[in-house]
Order: sequence, then C-alpha cells, then structure tokens
Amino acid sequence: MKTEHADISQGRKFSGIWLIPLLALVLGVYMVAQKWMNEGPEIEIAFMTADGLEQGETKVKYRNVDMGVVEEVRLNDAFDGVIARVKLDRQALPLLREDTRFWVVTARVGVDSISGLDTLLSGAYIQLAPGTGEIGTRYFTGLEHPPQTPAGAPGLRLQLTSDRASSVSAGDTVLYKGYNVGRVENMLFNPSDRLVHYEIFIDAPYHKLVNSSVRFWDVSGVSLSADAGGFKVETGSVDTVFFGGVAFGVPEGVEEGDEVEQQTEFRLYTSYDDILENPFQYGTYYVVSFDQSVKGLRPGAPVEFRGIQIGKVERIMLKEGLEKTRTLGEQGKGLSIPVLLYVEPGRLELPDKESSIDALRETVRVGVNNGLRATMASGNLLTGATYISFDFFPDAREDTESTFMEYTTIPTIDSGLAQLDQKVNALLDNINALPLADTVTSANTALASLNQNLASLQSILDNQSTQQLPAQLDQTLQELKDVVSNLSPNSQAYQSLNSSLLSLNRTMGNLETLTRTLSGQPNAVLLPSTPVPDPIPEVRKK
Amino acid sequence: MTARTTAANSGLASCHVCFKLAPTAVHRCPRCGATMHLRKNDSLQRTLALLVTACLLYIPANLYPIMYTEQLGSTEASTIMGGVILLIELGSLPIAMVIFVFSVIVPSGKLMTMFYLVWTVERHSPLGARQRSMMYRITEFIGKWSMVDVFVVSILVALVHLGGLLVIRPGIAALSFAGVVIVTMIAAESFDSRLIWDNIEEKNSEN
Repeated sequence: MKTEHADISQGRKFSGIWLIPLLALVLGVYMVAQKWMNEGPEIEIAFMTADGLEQGETKVKYRNVDMGVVEEVRLNDAFDGVIARVKLDRQALPLLREDTRFWVVTARVGVDSISGLDTLLSGAYIQLAPGTGEIGTRYFTGLEHPPQTPAGAPGLRLQLTSDRASSVSAGDTVLYKGYNVGRVENMLFNPSDRLVHYEIFIDAPYHKLVNSSVRFWDVSGVSLSADAGGFKVETGSVDTVFFGGVAFGVPEGVEEGDEVEQQTEFRLYTSYDDILENPFQYGTYYVVSFDQSVKGLRPGAPVEFRGIQIGKVERIMLKEGLEKTRTLGEQGKGLSIPVLLYVEPGRLELPDKESSIDALRETVRVGVNNGLRATMASGNLLTGATYISFDFFPDAREDTESTFMEYTTIPTIDSGLAQLDQKVNALLDNINALPLADTVTSANTALASLNQNLASLQSILDNQSTQQLPAQLDQTLQELKDVVSNLSPNSQAYQSLNSSLLSLNRTMGNLETLTRTLSGQPNAVLLPSTPVPDPIPEVRKK
Repeated sequence: MTARTTAANSGLASCHVCFKLAPTAVHRCPRCGATMHLRKNDSLQRTLALLVTACLLYIPANLYPIMYTEQLGSTEASTIMGGVILLIELGSLPIAMVIFVFSVIVPSGKLMTMFYLVWTVERHSPLGARQRSMMYRITEFIGKWSMVDVFVVSILVALVHLGGLLVIRPGIAALSFAGVVIVTMIAAESFDSRLIWDNIEEKNSEN
C-alpha cells in the first residue's frame, strides 16, 4: 500500500519555522552592528594614583552627561603612575582634542569652598573638559587637581611669572580695582628657569580689561610701610588678606595697549610700588667695558643719559671679561671690565612696546657714531656709589658699536672721576717738584738771626738800670696817690671849692631873674614897671 | 523478529489534540476536527530551527548583564556567571550551586540533548532508543525549571524599588534568557518522540 507510506515521509522542503532563527540571527547581527557603529573611541589617561578609579565603575562625565566608563586601571610601564583605559561614547569623539583635560572629581574641602559632595555617595568620576586644539588625541595626562575654572567657560587664560613665590596660590582671586574678575588656577615652580609660573583665568566679559600694557601685582596680605608721612597700611579685599590675590591695572601715565591673546605671559610684580619703580616691560641689554676702577658700581645702579635715568646696571661681567682676556691674550693692556646694562626705551618716552627696542637700538647706533659715550660718574660722594652716564663727547676718539658675547657694546671714555684722579696726581707731582730744600735753608738762617735778637734783648733785661725801673715806678705812683687824696671830700681844698661853687650858683639865680624881666620889658632898666592886674575868672555863657 | 502491530502499521493516526485514533486517510479528526497527521508536522526541522534560535539567544543571555543594582547612585551590573562567582566568593555555595545548575547546566544540557536527539533521529539510528526516550522525558520535565533565574530577577525588580537607595533593573540578558527557556520548551514540544521508535519499526519491517 503505497498510499500508507506516502504520509509518513518527512518533507525535505524548508519549513517556515526557519524564519524564527533567521529573525533571531538578524536581530543579533543588528545589535552587534549597532554596537559596533556606536563604538566610541578608547582613550588612555595617565594619573599619578588610581585614587577613586574603579574598573568598570568610574564614569567619565561632561556637563554631568555620562561619556564613558573606565574599563581598566593598570600601572604604567615605569610603575610611577597609573593608566586608566576609558571606553567613551561615540558622541565624545569631537571632545577629544589636544588640550582636553581630565581630572578626578571627588569630595574636596578647601579653605574657601567644599565641592563634589555628591561623589561621596556615587563615587568619584572623571570630569572631561574639552579643549580647543586639534581633534584626534587618544592619550591624555590627567590633572591632579581640578582646574579652578569650569570647563568651557568664556574668558582669558594668562600666564604670570614671578621670581619669588609670594602668598599667591591656586584658587586665589584676581582683582580689577578691587572687584573679583577671575582666579589663579595653577601655580608651578619651574626649576629650569627658576621662576614661579601662575596660570590665571579672567572671566568674560572682564577679559576685555586686559591689554598689553596692564601690569599684574600681588595684593596678598597686608603691606605696612612707614615714612615721613606716618604709617600706611595697604590691603586688598578681605579674602586677599587671608588667602592672597592678584590685582591688575594700567599704571598711571601708561597708554592702553593692544588686545592680548590667550596664554600671553605677564610678569607678576611684588607690589604696586614695585610697578611704579619698574613701570616698563620692555628693555634691552648693552655692555660697556671700562679700563678703570669700577669701585662703587653695584648691580641696580642707575644708567643715565644727561641726568635722565634710562636703565640700570644689571651686573658686572668679571668672569666673562676674564675669559675674553684669556682667549684673546691681550697682554699689557690690562683687564677691561665689562658691565651689563639694562636699558628701557619706555624711560625715554618711547611707547612701551617691542618695536621701541629696535628704535632705541637704531638711535644708539647713530648716536655712537656721533660721539655717544658711556662714562662712570660719582653719584654719592659719601658712599662712593657710582653710576653709568651717557653723553655726547664730540671730541672723543672715533669709535663704533661692537659686540661682546651676544650683547652690543657701547664705547666708553674715562670718566670725570678718573680725570680728577689724574689731576690730583699731577698736583701731587708738582708739589713734589717744589724746591723745598732751599726754602728750609733760608728759613733756618732767618731763625738764627731771630735767635741773635733775642739774646741782645736778654742782655738789655739783665742791665742794672732796667732792674731798678720797677722801684722808681712804684715811687711815682705813691706820689700820685697823695695828690689824689688831697682832692677827697674831707679835704680843705675840696670844701672851699664847694662853697665857691654855691655862691656862684646864687649869683647865677639873681642874674636869671634880671634877664627874665628884661626880656618881658626891655625898658625896665629905665622905667618903673607897671603892675599887671590879676585876671578875673568869667562865668561861661550858656 | 516479527513486526509488532502499531497504529501506523494498521493505517491509523492519532489526533494531536484529543488523541483519537482515526484512519490515516481521514484529514480531519472525526471527534474534535483538528488536522490529522501520522507524525508531528515537520518535527525535526521545527525542533532544529528552534534549537538554533535558542543557541543564538543563549549568547547575549550569558554575555550581557542580567540585572543592574543601583545602590546609592552607583550602578553595578551582574551577569549570570558573574553572579555565581560573586556568590561563591561570598560563601553562599548552595545558592551558587542552585543558580549554576538551573541557569547554566540545565539550559545548555537541554540544548545539547535536543541536538543529539534530532541528530540521531535524522540518522535513523536505532541504538539506545529507550535511553533516548528517557532523556527526552527528563529534558521536557526539567526544562521549565530553568525559568527560576528569570523569576528571581522579575521578583527582585518588582520588590526592590527603594527610590535612590536601592533599585534593581533587569538587564537585556534576562529577556534573552527567558527567550532561551521558552524557545527550548517549544522545541522540546515540537519534537515527536515517536520518531525515535519509528527507526526501530523501519528496521524491523525491513528485516
């Protein structure tokens, strides 16, 4: 029965049930493909420690949006740090730029703020702050401290350098006329240039206040100064007293400069007074060599042009001078001492710009050809301090600029001091040449004759008559005394003289009465006088 | 050996639904009206297809996390094997064994058993028919217990929902694992165990 078996055989045709595994496969492939399509970049971030980093746990966030997760934390090859391998989402690709920064956000308690408290519960995460450089970096170095400025904040980031670490530290405020406009983000001491480098950030829109002529100075703490006017206490805002701060502004008398770029470098002055003392940013170096004593010339001594200070002495390059003398073998001439000068074009009323240096150099070059020379002058006779003075000496020996090491040198002439020295020497030589011996001989002769005179005088004194002279003198005086005693009030002569004088006095009185009568009535001698009736007082009329 | 009398030999087929015996010539069950087949329709192909599906689903079920534990803001993802290893490390060996047996051994063992059965039936192998039959019965019985893992996850997700303190969310593996279990159950269901014996009958009839 063939029909009975026909139903038993299993059909070889494909059943529709195969659609199910096919569907599963397609779904699976789709999922894998999608995952692969969304596969983000894998980056490596180097940190000092893996503090807070957990494999498969720690997230990478940007603006609090998850961007990826730490896949692996391992030690680096040198075992002096860790490397976190991070799997990022595809959308993070444009954020991975050359200067993109990463740091671990954990709870931090600072002097002025507490941050990251949410990480106490959720655990630390890595913060991403996109930069502006080129896209495509995959290896980053994580920051050990979070930057002070939020990622992507508009503003201006600047570099400050200072030759000493003041009380300014990361997190301190930046003030403009006492108003908080930014903060110090970072400080670093670079052992190679021995300068402290600060990174500061000025928030928008205050970054427009920064131009190439602004100066930055330290307003940390309290500055106390005493002068003839009394005590003066200067402080910034209250928090700068405790935490330090940096202020900036355009010093008085300085023109507003040009706009500055990101990461421009400025110098951090120690105080505003420091700026007033050194108001210029740009300067150039010159060398002057002296064949004379540089006694009294110290680093910082002024360099003047006809009495106007144009710079200062940087240092005396004795070592380099010795080197040069040795290599050149200049024998017999003696060692000339090079002095390094720092000259600021701003002090000559030139604009305080880079270009002014070239202008100054050109002026000096022309000036030297016309007799500009450096001399050393005495500044203070008491302390012996000297300074460098520039002036034109038209009759100076012709000379031009030359170079010493990398510096331009300006020719010198012997200073007034050295000339004075020579004159004093000449004077002493003249004195030396005087015929002193002859003078002394004649003086001796004069003294001998004087001696003779004195001896004859002595012989006169020794004479008998001379010795009797005092006794005779005494007798004469006694007689004179007797004469005088006769004239005393008790003596007879005196009394008779006195009575004579009294009678003379009476006579004179009578004579006076007669004279008066005669002056009133000249004929009284001839006629009898008529008596004048007594005046009768009258009643005053009403 | 003489051929034993079977329903198929006698020109009778059993209804899949009400198990009434009816002549193979009849296309509809005279009692319930269901379509009559001598054996389950395309049994091997269906079983094989479903097994392949289960295999495909088994991959994400093991690779992806089965559940996410959000504890105080930190999320922890755990896969099946990860959970087993974690339990062993924590010292809960019995629970680890239960999960390991029902989530790893049973589903994979079931898949392999079914593949073996399909393979032998396809090859018309007459050997060990009784053991194979027993394997099939055990597989069918134990298969549903694989759902333990899925149930544990579903219960945890439903119960543990304490706001920000502790939240458990199911992972993609929970779904695919449930898929594996369901698909293998259907595969076992669509396998016609009588096919094991048909080979012996054929051999016998050939002799």
